[in-house]
Amino acid sequence: MNAVRRFFRRYIFSVVGIMLLYLFVNIALILAVLVGGSMSVPEGSLSARDFSDHVVLRDGMWMADDAALTLLREQGAWAMLLNEDGDVVWQQDLPEGLPRSFTSTDVASFSRWYLEDYPVKVWAREDRNLMVMGFQPGTLVKYYFSLEWPYMGAMAAGVAAVFFINLFLIVFLLLRSTRRVESAMTPILQGIQDLSRGHARRLDEQGELAEINAALNRAADYMRKKDNTRAEWIRGVSHDIRTPLSVVLGYASELEDDRTLAQEARKQAGIIRREGEKMKRLIDDLNLTTRLEYALEPVHLKEVDWVEISRQAVSEILNSGLERRYELAFTEMQPGRSIRTLADGGLLLRMLDNLICNSITHNPQGCRIVLSAGEEDGRCVCTISDDGVGVAPELLEALNRGDGIASTRKGDERSEHGLGLKLVTQIVKAHQGTVSFSGCDPHGLAVRITLPRLS
Amino acid sequence: MDDERTVTMTDHTILLVDDDRSLLEMLLSIFRRAGYTDILTASSGTEALRTWREAQPRLIVLDVMLPDMDGFCVLREIRRTSRVPVLMLTARGEAEDRIEGLETGADDYLAKPFLPRELLLRAGAILSRAYPAPNERVELAGATVDMANAEVWKDGRKQTLTAREMQLFEKLYQHAGRIVTTGILCEAVCGEFWQGYESTLSTHIRHLREKIEENPSKPVSLVTVKGLGYRLNLKEATP
Repeated sequence: MNAVRRFFRRYIFSVVGIMLLYLFVNIALILAVLVGGSMSVPEGSLSARDFSDHVVLRDGMWMADDAALTLLREQGAWAMLLNEDGDVVWQQDLPEGLPRSFTSTDVASFSRWYLEDYPVKVWAREDRNLMVMGFQPGTLVKYYFSLEWPYMGAMAAGVAAVFFINLFLIVFLLLRSTRRVESAMTPILQGIQDLSRGHARRLDEQGELAEINAALNRAADYMRKKDNTRAEWIRGVSHDIRTPLSVVLGYASELEDDRTLAQEARKQAGIIRREGEKMKRLIDDLNLTTRLEYALEPVHLKEVDWVEISRQAVSEILNSGLERRYELAFTEMQPGRSIRTLADGGLLLRMLDNLICNSITHNPQGCRIVLSAGEEDGRCVCTISDDGVGVAPELLEALNRGDGIASTRKGDERSEHGLGLKLVTQIVKAHQGTVSFSGCDPHGLAVRITLPRLS
Repeated sequence: MDDERTVTMTDHTILLVDDDRSLLEMLLSIFRRAGYTDILTASSGTEALRTWREAQPRLIVLDVMLPDMDGFCVLREIRRTSRVPVLMLTARGEAEDRIEGLETGADDYLAKPFLPRELLLRAGAILSRAYPAPNERVELAGATVDMANAEVWKDGRKQTLTAREMQLFEKLYQHAGRIVTTGILCEAVCGEFWQGYESTLSTHIRHLREKIEENPSKPVSLVTVKGLGYRLNLKEATP
């Protein structure tokens, strides 16, 4: 689920990022166009004010200096100076067709627009004369612009509003469409994740992605069918082995106990019986592990006494007759305290039995096994430790990683069958517990189990 | 197992039902060797029902998988009119079978493959529960317990066991020679919710020891197994 959420969050962030980038790039481009445009104006462009400074009254005569006149000619422009009455008091290259006197209406008109198609620039001088510069038609664009203040304010606010409404709409639509895609995709992605963990989930085969959902459902059905076939096969085989194995175990025990037989023959019968018992254990483990793996049977949780379960596990091993080279002891971490947990008592017994048997099987030379049960940090705890040969560090690591290692002595012909530790892990998992393996000082193996405690 | 009990038990007629020929023969051999003399066999549900009606056995060892009808159907048919003890055998070994077997009215349930010792122990336990011997006496190292009258005879003197002591003794006797955990003993006296009863249990055990042990401070019959529980040792039979 987290991976899916993370994916969509990243998607939204990246889209917002793209939008911001788009905005900045646009602003930068507009600025670039403005700057570029202003730079394309030819150098030495003449303003009416600058030019006006070059026209002075000297000895009752208006005159302009040579530099100004050269500049004026280069641009093919003309200039004139109007006094307060609108009469031309000085001019340079003033076209013939233009009047030599202007009314105030004329002045107001050409100041805003054109003078007979000539675009003009004007400058009101301090001596109350008006400097007018005319350029060739088509070299300058003039546009009169005037707006009412309230309208200007409303327009500025309107532009801002349009910008923000646009932004909001884009973000809203983007989030909405992402949300829709997410809600359509999440069950599918979840389904794929579940499938990868071996849990088949039924998806709703409706909507735009119905086909994909249906395909996933088919994959889940196929997986379930395969699992069921495998589980049925295991059940079938183990069922068919049970009756003949009973006969083998029965007769072997009979022969082993038959005092009329030769000692050697009875010993051999004993070996058959012991090997048969190993097979019996294998079948029981195989059935249980199949049941847990394929969830063929739910775990029946019930309030149980954790210490009493541990006591029973140890007692059962002792009652079944432990050989002399082994010593099995039980200790309570908090003597006399009742520690309750919600569990399937039968499964817990099986788990502890498997762990004790693991120590026994892997230490044929004999060892001392101690099971201590109690409570730590609000959890049920049990450690099963032995002073036997122990386990190689790399195998310990693999066990703690939860690799599907079945036996602490791989490849040993004396090791039982290898489902024991797998079952322990499965049972612990079914009870939301933890299991960890470590070495003992100076040698041996310690297994620590913790389960949630019932307060 | 003490001799007196075995003799009484092996007198009962038992019916073994299984469709597998070799298993049936092996069952027959196990029970014969254990001293049972009156043994009947059947290899189908119909045959089992017929034999049960005709011979009225005291115990039926019944396989779940039979060719004509399954063991549960046979058991249901029997339970309509009879309370005869039935021990079910199954090759499936699944918990549903166990639950269905016990719900249908089976007295016990054993999954294949099993050891002969296991089968005989279960059969013996069912028989002694269903048909308690009228004067069953348990011989201990220092005393004899009369189960029917809840009395203990020690050095020619008679003492009575209280109801609680008797419940404890019966539980220990059922598992004689084996460790019985404090939890199981407490449960036998108090039922499912026995927490906090452990100290009372040790008082009852002390009283029981005073009655059955020659030297209660050094018990030999009712011994403590440290940390786990108690074990009842029967008097070893003289060869």
